[in-house]
Amino acid sequence: MPLDPRVLSRRHFLRGTAGSLGALALAELATAGAVSSGVARVEPPRRAKARRVIYLFQSGGPSQLETFDYKPVLNARNGEPLPDSVRQGQRLTGMSGNQSLLPLAGSQFRFAQHGCSRQWVSELFPRTAGVVDELCFVKSLHTEAINHDPAITFLCTGSEIAGRPSMGAWLSYGLGSPNRNLPAFVVLVTKKGADQPLYARLWGSGFLPSEHQGVQFLAGKEPVLYLANPDGVSATARRRQLDALGELAKAQHAREGDDEILARLAQAEMAFRMQTSVPEVTDLSDEPDEVFELYGADARTPGTYAANCLLARRLAERGVRFVQLFHPGWDHHGDLPASMRNLARETDQASAALIVDLKRRGLLDDTLVVWGGEFGRTNYSQGKLTSDNYGRDHHPRCFTAWLAGAGVNAGTSFGETDEFGYNIARDPVHVHDFHATLLHLLGVDHTALTFRYQGRDFRLTDVAGRVVHELLS
Amino acid sequence: MAFAWFALAVLGAASSGDERAPERARPEFDLEVRPILADRCFPCHGPDAGSRKAKLRLDVRDEALAPRSGAAHAIVAGDVAASELVARIRAESPDDVMPPPDSGRKPLSEAEKATLERWIASGAEYAPHWAFVPPKLDEPPAVADAGWCRDELDRWVLAELERRGLAPSPEADRETWLRRVSFDLTGLPPSPVEVAEFVADARSDAYERVVDRLLASPRYAERMAADWLDLARYADTYGYQADAERRVWPYRDWVIRAFDEDLPYDRFATWQLAGDLVRAAAPAETPRDAELATAFNRLHRQTNEGGSTEEEFRVEYVADRVHTFGTAFLGLTTECARCHDHKYDPLPQRDYYGLFAYFDDGDESGLYSYFTSATPTPTLRLTTPEQESRLAELAREVAQAEARVEGLAAEREGDFQAWLASGASWSPSGPIARYPLDGYAQDGSLANAVDPAKPGATLERPKLVEGRVGGALEFSGDDNASFPGVAEFEHTDPFSFALWLWTPEPKPRAIVLKRSRAWSDAGSQGYELLLDDTRVAWSLIHFWPGNAISIRTRARLEPRRWTHVAVTYDGSARANGLAIYVDGARAEVEVVRDELWKPITGGEPGALTLAERFRDVGFAGGRVDELCVFDRCLTALEIARLVAPVESPAGDAPNVALGDIGVDALRETWLACVDEPARAAREALRAARKRQAEELARVEEIMTMRDRPTPRTAYVLKRGRYDQPDTSQPVEPHVPAALGGADGLPPNRLGLARWLVAPSNPLFGRVAVNRLWAQCFGHGLVATRENFGVQGEAPSHPELLDALAVRFAEDGWSTKRFLRRLVLSATYRQSSRAREELTALDPENRLLARGSVRRLSAEEMRDQALCASGLLVERVGGPSVKPWQPPGIWEIGWGGTYTPDTGEGLHRRSLYTYWRRTAPPPNMLLFDASKREVCVARRSTTNTPLQALVLFDDPQFVECARSLAAVALRESGDRDARVERVFRGLATRAPEPAERAALAALFESELASYRADPAAAERLLAGASDLAGLAHDELAALTLVASTVLASDASQTRR
Repeated sequence: MPLDPRVLSRRHFLRGTAGSLGALALAELATAGAVSSGVARVEPPRRAKARRVIYLFQSGGPSQLETFDYKPVLNARNGEPLPDSVRQGQRLTGMSGNQSLLPLAGSQFRFAQHGCSRQWVSELFPRTAGVVDELCFVKSLHTEAINHDPAITFLCTGSEIAGRPSMGAWLSYGLGSPNRNLPAFVVLVTKKGADQPLYARLWGSGFLPSEHQGVQFLAGKEPVLYLANPDGVSATARRRQLDALGELAKAQHAREGDDEILARLAQAEMAFRMQTSVPEVTDLSDEPDEVFELYGADARTPGTYAANCLLARRLAERGVRFVQLFHPGWDHHGDLPASMRNLARETDQASAALIVDLKRRGLLDDTLVVWGGEFGRTNYSQGKLTSDNYGRDHHPRCFTAWLAGAGVNAGTSFGETDEFGYNIARDPVHVHDFHATLLHLLGVDHTALTFRYQGRDFRLTDVAGRVVHELLS
Repeated sequence: MAFAWFALAVLGAASSGDERAPERARPEFDLEVRPILADRCFPCHGPDAGSRKAKLRLDVRDEALAPRSGAAHAIVAGDVAASELVARIRAESPDDVMPPPDSGRKPLSEAEKATLERWIASGAEYAPHWAFVPPKLDEPPAVADAGWCRDELDRWVLAELERRGLAPSPEADRETWLRRVSFDLTGLPPSPVEVAEFVADARSDAYERVVDRLLASPRYAERMAADWLDLARYADTYGYQADAERRVWPYRDWVIRAFDEDLPYDRFATWQLAGDLVRAAAPAETPRDAELATAFNRLHRQTNEGGSTEEEFRVEYVADRVHTFGTAFLGLTTECARCHDHKYDPLPQRDYYGLFAYFDDGDESGLYSYFTSATPTPTLRLTTPEQESRLAELAREVAQAEARVEGLAAEREGDFQAWLASGASWSPSGPIARYPLDGYAQDGSLANAVDPAKPGATLERPKLVEGRVGGALEFSGDDNASFPGVAEFEHTDPFSFALWLWTPEPKPRAIVLKRSRAWSDAGSQGYELLLDDTRVAWSLIHFWPGNAISIRTRARLEPRRWTHVAVTYDGSARANGLAIYVDGARAEVEVVRDELWKPITGGEPGALTLAERFRDVGFAGGRVDELCVFDRCLTALEIARLVAPVESPAGDAPNVALGDIGVDALRETWLACVDEPARAAREALRAARKRQAEELARVEEIMTMRDRPTPRTAYVLKRGRYDQPDTSQPVEPHVPAALGGADGLPPNRLGLARWLVAPSNPLFGRVAVNRLWAQCFGHGLVATRENFGVQGEAPSHPELLDALAVRFAEDGWSTKRFLRRLVLSATYRQSSRAREELTALDPENRLLARGSVRRLSAEEMRDQALCASGLLVERVGGPSVKPWQPPGIWEIGWGGTYTPDTGEGLHRRSLYTYWRRTAPPPNMLLFDASKREVCVARRSTTNTPLQALVLFDDPQFVECARSLAAVALRESGDRDARVERVFRGLATRAPEPAERAALAALFESELASYRADPAAAERLLAGASDLAGLAHDELAALTLVASTVLASDASQTRR
């Protein structure tokens, strides 16, 4: 029996997954060379269009009506009560549900058609409008939860119930990491005051082995928790410690005969490599000025959305499987016009720059970029509607996201809402369908990526999900 | 090569684990056949009627073997050729073959097909799933090497080994065994002194002495509690969005106490499920702890997110209780059956809601309070003994003062009669504020006719309309009128309100008057006058529904008519101290709630307000006129006079004949308004109640279980949705039929608990002993600790599992005695060293031919470092503590800033570390601690680079390394002795020569390096105290040695 930690780890991998990964991954595994510590280091199958994902999560529920879903009827009927025939008795939140009046609120922002694809974008997003031919809008997303916590948990894990693995964890588990020195799943949260909290659960591993949880990269001198040596310990000293650790492992292995000892040592060595590779990727100082001009001045400030978009590109270049940005601040119950301006300013340029930058580097061909939040917002005003101010409450019945890059039907729009922007009129896309489509783009059959826990084969899409082929090129 | 290896592993893991045993002509249904059927066939041909295809059911023999009209016979016992099942599993065509290629089910292997054929050929006998049949105690098997056995349990293990021609491993050396048993029973390593003593102990009962010492230590109870808290999903915060703090550590301390006292496990379970009912049935014999234990059912996540639907989350909470009950006590997964019949186990959806109904009756809200810190009801008061005696004294004082007020009527009768005889005139004290609501002043305020300095204000200026007397306000539902500074009453104050009211239509709910920050966002804390189903409801509330007094009129108000409504309260904190008068007459009411014992003034309740409350239903179209505020409890006569005011301006005499009013009403009014001694007695009573209330306000509480007087009716919820009850299917509390009924037991949680712990319950004992077994042997006899259902793994030693379960019950459910047996067994004493012949044969060590190996848990890893370095502060129980963690972890949530403790809190055992659900301590998560959001029966064990970073770089671990190095420096002057001391502290053994050499070399290289750069040493040692007498370069160098050992396998595992 060779003392190859990789072989041993394969056993670990199988312990949790035997019979549950489906033909796809099993077949791939059989031919794959390396398996490391519970991760099937498998490249996405050949039919995969995307090799990695950058998910620009807009937390709080961005209004579809001020971004990409143009509804002139709301302007025409501004101030009129939401017709019962539109609401159809559907539940509202307790925040506006007891209002005596639900006045329709037209967007205060002008919309125009852009690009060869003539897609509607509001004036708040001029840079996004500039790349509109790369985007595939989904205007008929819908979800089940009406409050933030269950809704964002659902979007990120496929279930409102806590304790399920997140999208990135599923991909880490299913596809592994092509980069030996970086995690498969990296999370970047904009450093700003949050109107809605973000939690470790959203990038957690649930019941999957915890090595698949997202690793948050932080702005500041220690980009990963515990990455830096203690003050007073040099890199060469750490190297000598690891050499000694290797001697201890050898002796312990001779004593106990347990191959796990060598696997543990291999992980410590990878930690040592990460101490170099992570600061290298998070240090943006080697980027030329024109890149900062592209992403915007914010990109020079670590922790901003713009800096995180740039960092996401660097991680994508190094093969990180799933990079998820979280940008909070979209929960606009009141003062929506002013808040939308701020949020657009924080995100528009960098989101578009990422598309441009990936494209010119040839990375957009096999990188999937996703933009969207956990639900949409009501077409009526929460609180008082005045001539220049209004708010919008949570709205799970329709919202808009866009996709770009690998395998995506660029320059198109899919799904339609009714003229009031309240219900879906055509081609609904449920969150499960959205997840199924994402996995499909990565070459993964969403019904085959399963994990047995408590006697049941769980998957990201629960017992539902349909690949929306219309979104695919 | 790689592929072959891997295919073998797949087979081994996917089947029952018995691949190596010789093939049987008659396959055992339960262990060999059912797992195949369950995995490939039951999803469409199993217990779930909703997803059954072709009306074919294979999980029940009668149906599987029944002739089928118009379809081929699925199974013909003894006749493979005639059985359509065989034809279908052998079919070549994708249209015919089972399972269908597009089902997502793995195709059957050749071996599996053959097993099914042999099973049919041998008669297609079924057997019930092993785990649903009560365990029975067999004679231990005969073994060749009986001398090896130390406990009965060893016979089963050895018999299985002998059957396979294997020998057990030799005994582990004493150091290894001591480290193993110390971690397994206490979660901490032995001290060097304990090691030395045990190694030198030549007495025949040396092992027993160690075990008894460990079991008697409070460390044992702490370690046991740490595991249980995963099942109980214990955390210091509520979870969900805001994830606010909740005070539930008294439950954690009870768990520690229970293990310390070795509370029998059946009682441990019964108390947690139904301790309140146990105590209610036998108050004298049952300690308060029994009720405290029911907090177990309230530790699920809870939300207070704005705009949430209360019932939606209440249903989630009940579902979580069912899930937790199922996993922790039955080892069954119940969640599937919330939406449909279980696909594998005999748990129909109806039985799920039977369990649900047991946990559905608490007087609770689905939302906790955002604006106040009120404990969600029901709660248990955690009075201290001192508080008990003070409260008893204060209650006596209140009772005396009440008796004094009661007695006055008789005592003062003479004076009353004299007053009557003198003409019965009085000058009533009027309202403390009166708002005619006839119009707005220039500044937009609303005039106060009594105290012009305190006018009313409005939000969005309600409309002025014609009123009952002059003008009145008409509200939109979103606007309001508020009256600051006049009605800031406590629940010990008597007070009253009177107003004229006009509602445009029947109102399911409308706020008329309140002083309260919000509805469910504040648990309705305050007082409120509502229209509820067009009835008048009058309430004082600390937390709705469980800590409140509330009454409601039986009659509905007539819409579109001015009605006079007056409400009074006497300061007693009792529902019968509330009254409602409609058009001057006391209304007949029902008591809605009658338990108020905490303040009603928290959460910044603001001013007395009409017609609107934050996120509540406003009084749309409603009108109010002539609002009066009184700081007294008005009498019926006074209220009658408000409705029909006297003609004479001063109100100095009753305007009706004495005969109409009645003497009793006059006496009541005389006592209330005229008589000075009566006034003084009432003041004394108010003061006594205030003192009592102040003491009560300091009493801590904890969420527990207590059922409402009238149970809710539970229904099957379609798709598990709170808003889709199938009202044609009301469900009584009942246990799953497949697990034996609960006949004759009460249909409440106590009945459920009795059913659970009865000897006839097939799961309760097995699940418990399996968990304790896993604690000592790394994995359970049933590897899927969390699932004993059809899809769980079969036990490696079924008879042993049964014997242990039966013995555990027979021995009075003593956890300590049970663990003692396990760790003193020969099986446990084996060396864990890998054996060449076992590596391929039994990589998981299911046969127990050697000792087990496991990496330390997150808690153990940190606790070992603290303990070995002498930093550990051993104090049992108390509020959770905040050791150091990297800054910024809480800031992405709503939790504000994490401020680490100073002093002891930095160095307590990890079980006491403050657990914030949405942002748990990262170094514990990295070592696979469960997140405590839901019940978890088994943690994963991973091996990642981030773990090495924690051990090398987390300041907590660096501090431990430094302290351990300091200990070693102080104890010895010799380099090798120091290195050895460090190594022994973390590995519980002497270093091997190679290890010694490597560490000595490391010490020398680092010493040289720090000598060359003393400033680096100072940086490493910055912040350390007690460096007196230590050479800093040596300490820094030895710190790196300690840190290296900390990260080594010898320190991370117990073998």
